Amino acid sequence: MPKVAYYKGCLASLSAKELDTSTQALAPRLGIELDELESVTCCGAGDIHEAEPDYYLHLNARILAYGEATGADTLMTICNVCTLNLRQANWQLKNDDALRARVNDNLERVGVPPYSGGVEVKHFLWLIAEGEGFELLKEVAHKGLKGLKIAPFYGCQILRPSKILGFEDPDRPWSLERIISACGGEPIDYPAKIKCCGFPIIQAREETALGELIQPIEQAMERGADAIVTPCPLCHLSLDAWQQKLEASTGKSYQLPILHLSQLIGVAAGLDDSELKFRRHVVPVSGVLEKLEAP
Amino acid sequence: MDVALKIWRFDAETGERELRDYEVEAPEWACLLDVLDIVKDQVDGTLSFRKSCRMMICGSCGMRMDGRAVLACKERMLPIVEAGHVPVISAMGNLPIVKDLVVDMGPFWQKMRAMKPWLQPGYSEPADEKEFHVSQQQVETIHKEALCINCGCCVSECNSMESDPEFLGPAALAKGMRFVGDSRDQATVERLEAYNADHGIWDCTRCYFCTERCPKGVDPRDAIAKLGAESIKHGIDRDMGAKHANWFVHSAKTTGWLRETELVPKTQGVVASIKQTKFAMSLARRGKVPLPFPPHVAEDVKEARALYNLVKEQGRDGAAGIVQGEKGIAYIEFAEEHTEPGTGPASRLEPGAQPELKSPEGGD
Repeated sequence: MPKVAYYKGCLASLSAKELDTSTQALAPRLGIELDELESVTCCGAGDIHEAEPDYYLHLNARILAYGEATGADTLMTICNVCTLNLRQANWQLKNDDALRARVNDNLERVGVPPYSGGVEVKHFLWLIAEGEGFELLKEVAHKGLKGLKIAPFYGCQILRPSKILGFEDPDRPWSLERIISACGGEPIDYPAKIKCCGFPIIQAREETALGELIQPIEQAMERGADAIVTPCPLCHLSLDAWQQKLEASTGKSYQLPILHLSQLIGVAAGLDDSELKFRRHVVPVSGVLEKLEAP
Repeated sequence: MDVALKIWRFDAETGERELRDYEVEAPEWACLLDVLDIVKDQVDGTLSFRKSCRMMICGSCGMRMDGRAVLACKERMLPIVEAGHVPVISAMGNLPIVKDLVVDMGPFWQKMRAMKPWLQPGYSEPADEKEFHVSQQQVETIHKEALCINCGCCVSECNSMESDPEFLGPAALAKGMRFVGDSRDQATVERLEAYNADHGIWDCTRCYFCTERCPKGVDPRDAIAKLGAESIKHGIDRDMGAKHANWFVHSAKTTGWLRETELVPKTQGVVASIKQTKFAMSLARRGKVPLPFPPHVAEDVKEARALYNLVKEQGRDGAAGIVQGEKGIAYIEFAEEHTEPGTGPASRLEPGAQPELKSPEGGD
């Protein structure tokens, strides 16, 4: 069983605890042993990159260094934003020896082990969509997702910029669809699946953000989706919690359930309520579970 | 080779739109622009598109292929033909369509002009009375931004601009950084104040479509991040976007993890937050408003705090913190690697759909 350094990020520790519990329950079944990083901080979510970029680089180098210190060659993320921030820092550090030397000198001065560039940052989605994880998925998802139409929502920072992410074609991604199909569900196709959920500006520019958020919600509903699945807890928060604000501004009722990737597979794998924690969602998920047919 | 393609034809005067099929014989070295020339010469002289240099310099031939904004002169057709794919060609997004593949660049230039895209050296004089000396490091700060050819490909798919048409957008803001980062320019603070206004840098939703589309490696999202960092360095941090960003820094050095519940009042202010009480309560019922006390503190957070103090002593504030390790020109080299045209399903972006523009008053 390959061991990965597990970086869960801020939201899975706080408002999206259900993402952490479902990931912890699911990963071992997919052949992934999680070694949770304890001494790490926030990746900066793109905000520290924009406010204090040199500090952003050091914070992420510190996370990578502790990831490397576990002996694992993969640092696993469960959030798009963590994925981009860590991969971007990793790319800078790996490609510039002088920069890495300067950052390492600083890390050592505050008691952090130096980083040699030996870790690859990979999202949980990527570990499931191909290779051993995908082979195991077919056995693990024994309860299936029969009768469910699922709209994949990728979000931005797991696709773009592709020079940093690079797992799949950013305009024609396939990983979520492949997983939905393998679990026995029917993937729904719609243009906004690769667009922005509005989350990064939802507090500073709510109206503009809602103008983005409405696209995946409405398009997925028009195409008959029973639920949206996303690999990002920020997209999840935006799609799930802010849906009521869309309802208030449009006068329409959506009530479209939003599932974390680990929850969707978790349903197909028969995880417990205590692991899926659907009660933590703003939009109820019960309708989806009732519609699920026997395999 | 036989090239088949579909083109969205549009006549703004009559409002007629039609997706037409074309098939022409073209040499194997042909790019999309060559094929459009052949269509216009041999099949349909009424087809309209812009072109000039044919070599990725003039920025005239921006258009969409399968929903992606591209320069027609940069897209080789051979791999697409070999894959048996029939691409859909349409006008760029986020700009009004004049005819067929021609968009009205008026709004683009208006935003570009708003950046005051010229050098403002003020009353400064060169030290040796001959010329200003610009170091290699100072050039690197704006190297990528200076590569822009004003083609509009980044604007075409900007998600913020779709929602807020008045957003200055990636091309104009990258131009802004080109001058903010110019060591000879003396209008830095004025520029940053202007770019921090409504519809400015803090409107960017970080969708990274601009960076993905730019055919020249300008990386506009990176330029916007540099402007944010320069603004905060200069103390221009009144915007909610800047306050939001600063709270992440404060969280990282105090508890290590984001202090999520305090983020709203720290961004929007206490009064605006109180107005959100009903919304917050609906989230709290679902455990989505974690109590700030006791705080969620990372182990060894003192290291993160010590790192902050150390980094601040070293003075790489602002854009200087981003430029290091960037190797700007590598962006273009990399961009060639990933795309495999025609290997996936049909376009996922609405080809040539005209965005619904809000009225200037801000109504719908």
